[in-house]
Amino acid sequence: MDLIYTIFSPKLMSQIFVGLSRTVILFIVASGLSLILGVLRIPNIWHGSLYMVGAFMTFTISGAIGGGSLGFWMALFLAPLGVAFVSLIAERSFFQHLYEREHIMLLLLTFAFSLVFGDLVKMVWGMEYKSVPVPRVFQGSVHLFGGLPFPLYNVFLLGIGPIVAVALWLIVNKTKIGKISRAAAVDREMVGAVGINVSWVFAFVFMIGCLLAGLGGALVAPTVNVSLGMDHTLIMEAFLIVIIGGLGNIWGALLGALIFGLAQSLGILIWPQFGIVFPYAAVIVVLLLRPTGLLKSTW
Amino acid sequence: MLKNTSGGNGRIVGGAVIVLLFLLPLFLPRFYIYLISIILLTGLLATSLNLPLGYGGIFQFHHAVFYGVGAYAAALMITKSGLSPWVGFVVGPFAAAFLSLIMGLICIRLSKLYFGMLQISLGSLVWIIVYRWYSFTGGDNGIHGIPVPEIISSQNNAYYFTLLVTLLSLWALYKIINSPFGSALQGIRDNPVRSGMIGINVKLHQLMVLVIAGFFAGVAGSLFIVVDTAVFPDMLFWTLSLEVLIMCLLGGWFTFLGPMLGAAVIISLRTFVSGFTDYWTLPLGILMMLVIFFLPNGILGYIQDKLYGKIAEQAEAVEQTDLAQPAVKES
Amino acid sequence: MGGICMKKVIYLSIFMVGLLGLSLFSSSSYGANTIKIGIVDTYSGPPATMSQDVLDGFKMVVNEINAKGGILGKKIEFVTRDEKFKPDVGLAMAKELVLKENVDLLMGTISSSTALAVSDFARKEKIPFLVTNSRTEKITGEKGHRYVFGIAENTAMAGRAAAYALSKKPFMKYWIAGDDYEYGHSIAENVWNNLKALKPGVQLLEQTWWKVGESDFTPYITQIMSAKPDFLIAATGGATMVTFAKAAKATGLVARVPIYQHTVIDYGVLGPLGADGPEGVYGTAPYLFYYPDTPANKAYVEEFRKVYGRYPQMFALFGYSAGRLIEKGFQKAGAVDKEKFINALEGMVIDSPVGKLEMRACDHQLQLPMMFGVVKKSPNFKDFLVASDIMMVPSKDFMPTCEEVLKTRKN
Repeated sequence: MDLIYTIFSPKLMSQIFVGLSRTVILFIVASGLSLILGVLRIPNIWHGSLYMVGAFMTFTISGAIGGGSLGFWMALFLAPLGVAFVSLIAERSFFQHLYEREHIMLLLLTFAFSLVFGDLVKMVWGMEYKSVPVPRVFQGSVHLFGGLPFPLYNVFLLGIGPIVAVALWLIVNKTKIGKISRAAAVDREMVGAVGINVSWVFAFVFMIGCLLAGLGGALVAPTVNVSLGMDHTLIMEAFLIVIIGGLGNIWGALLGALIFGLAQSLGILIWPQFGIVFPYAAVIVVLLLRPTGLLKSTW
Repeated sequence: MLKNTSGGNGRIVGGAVIVLLFLLPLFLPRFYIYLISIILLTGLLATSLNLPLGYGGIFQFHHAVFYGVGAYAAALMITKSGLSPWVGFVVGPFAAAFLSLIMGLICIRLSKLYFGMLQISLGSLVWIIVYRWYSFTGGDNGIHGIPVPEIISSQNNAYYFTLLVTLLSLWALYKIINSPFGSALQGIRDNPVRSGMIGINVKLHQLMVLVIAGFFAGVAGSLFIVVDTAVFPDMLFWTLSLEVLIMCLLGGWFTFLGPMLGAAVIISLRTFVSGFTDYWTLPLGILMMLVIFFLPNGILGYIQDKLYGKIAEQAEAVEQTDLAQPAVKES
Repeated sequence: MGGICMKKVIYLSIFMVGLLGLSLFSSSSYGANTIKIGIVDTYSGPPATMSQDVLDGFKMVVNEINAKGGILGKKIEFVTRDEKFKPDVGLAMAKELVLKENVDLLMGTISSSTALAVSDFARKEKIPFLVTNSRTEKITGEKGHRYVFGIAENTAMAGRAAAYALSKKPFMKYWIAGDDYEYGHSIAENVWNNLKALKPGVQLLEQTWWKVGESDFTPYITQIMSAKPDFLIAATGGATMVTFAKAAKATGLVARVPIYQHTVIDYGVLGPLGADGPEGVYGTAPYLFYYPDTPANKAYVEEFRKVYGRYPQMFALFGYSAGRLIEKGFQKAGAVDKEKFINALEGMVIDSPVGKLEMRACDHQLQLPMMFGVVKKSPNFKDFLVASDIMMVPSKDFMPTCEEVLKTRKN
């Protein structure tokens, strides 16, 4: 009994919970990336910029509506839609013309977009740091596990995560367009041959993926410094998560995010200085053991 | 790279260009000599990347690691061991080749995208170690004021040295690509199954390519020390790997000199656009978009296409080696 | 090099020459009648807001000088280059400014790595380099030399000033945490070593270091809180501070453990945070726009607001000081001569919003005062928190002595 108590000490449990809430943002962003990579075969480097734009839009929208709690909820709803809209325009104007080309060209195009947007964000929003206040209902923290605080906003994130996961799963597996997308991921010629407009299917998937990036940005905004350079912070981790989870697989993205996030929180307990190494080591282990990713990929 | 029949004329013009490059310091201002030095070594780095990437069909996504490790190994050797700097310049490429061997052995069992991602993960680990170990590597500051041998310390002499080493390296790489080994490599790129069946040891060839590429990346790293007398942890970061990849693709990854051209374009753009505006990544992004849409085989590829049309065949062969293949290859 | 097609090489060469030729158009043709200043800094990414503040402070002075006809009859022209926090790019840009644009003076940069590399280059080229924002003590310490001048406060200065203030407080059990890069470690070491020297009884429980740009501090904070230290020294960089403040408030760390952070009381941090600011946290900064409430400071702030529509952060003071140093330096030198300028700068005293500042001759470090205060709500400002109970520590009380600094240099 004592052994169990030491293993599941308050500190450990607290770290685990914190790691879980961290993974929510990673999961949301990575799932969008996974969809785009799995279905459209685009390694979307632009994803990071859209995450950043989502955060900045949240700042602007919530500020425009008075900055209080209502502002935040409106922004949470509108910012991802705004990002989705932008991505749709980009996809229809640029990306769709390249689907027949090598995927490495699409990677280049998304990189070009991220370069352009990096400067655009600076031009539109300027350089000063921006802050989105946490909505009043989530301010403060709850005390679990031996009195250690767990911010209420993180509790909110823990709740949102599964909701988004289930919603995504329903869309991808239970709706008609979801099923068509999965088919198109495996064999786009066949899907086109049965008379479905594959082009618009792809546009839809791209939009959903980018919307998720924007949603991630909107959700993370109250907890961080909304500043330039946000586009670089998540993108590498998101790619790694997608790879270890299995391309195009929503639950894979969730699993990957969990591994990544937990590896980091626990790593900090074990070896504070080099805690950052643990998630990368975990990725390496997974890739060596199961190169195609932990769960089934669409490729 | 397809052999061309206009060898004779090519030699004359090639020779003229080389002579011209050696004469540049006589009439170009100092800054351009510095800039061309940087372009040469970065172009060498890009060319070394193109060996596995364009000719080998390997998704070398984190090539910068070898550049950075080569540079750091040389820098640490020079500043900490008390031996002559020349020793450091030799140690650099070999350290990079060694790392390439180790990482290659780990990554080679995967292919395509997964190879690339595993390489990124391993490379990131290396970066973390270099970045955090300040007492040894200088951490985020890097190492500054590295002493360089008297004879190559002046800017012009550094340029000559860089030019000489780059030309020799390019020549060596060219020879490798046009050797039986190089042909086997391209055969593996185009059809690994068939190559395996005719008795080519696919994995061994690929591993050798990685080591060679790592070696020359290390050479580029040592050259950076000669030109700038410093090393920075940025040199190992994934954003540089991405930039070098873009140089290859921009210039034309089916051609030998494409990567060098790509390096020249990007570095020149960065330098001269900064003269007009601080937003220099925006024009670069737009240029990339233009190239992607209108010059699908890169700038040099486009030029060659216009002249020969052979490049299109080459491009088609490479297209089959893309992300669409099964992830885990049969051995 | 046989086998390479002739036309391809010709095209290649033409292309390259064309690119080089482009540069002829991009080269700025300034008359011989100006003093030209080249500024390399990071105007993208998280540090951009600080670099922009430096530039704004500098521009204010330059416009004032040029309106009066310039220095020695010559107007000041300056060009900026954005290195995007990449040291190799920054160094290349510095070389471009000196070798191609022929600037008379270099200024910059927030990146310590670039600053050190450019400092090395400046020494070789014998051109003065004013370091306006990098905080590493190595600039004027270990790697100092005749051609480099430190304007921003460095970590040695900040650490000592903080230790001086903290030694008067009752805390005994300390925890150190921060950004895992040179700046973070340098600040922490300087605070701790000096504190221990002033108050030998203090005890260091543990250290925690997170990656630069970390966005989720909760795991680290819970670890710290469970250990229950008396005090936390948080060695965070400018960009991280806002995120840390939010996490500290959300987890209740601010309420439980007193914290010290260098530059947390700067307007650049408290401004964006608004009402979310970390009340009760101690901090140091070389400049606050509302203290001291002298006529000089008031005039400066008013002018700044009129031109830029916002309050100045501490960084604007560095740009301002650089401008004044340039003005008086060339005036005293009597000519646009680099060596005479350097001689003139040594020991020079300039007027500033925080009083008279001296550019110390022995190590070329500007002697800034340091404000130590605690973050609180203010009746005067509704939108953000400010520092209060401010102690202004004069530079002579905390700056390392000439002997100490020069000892670190390998001569």
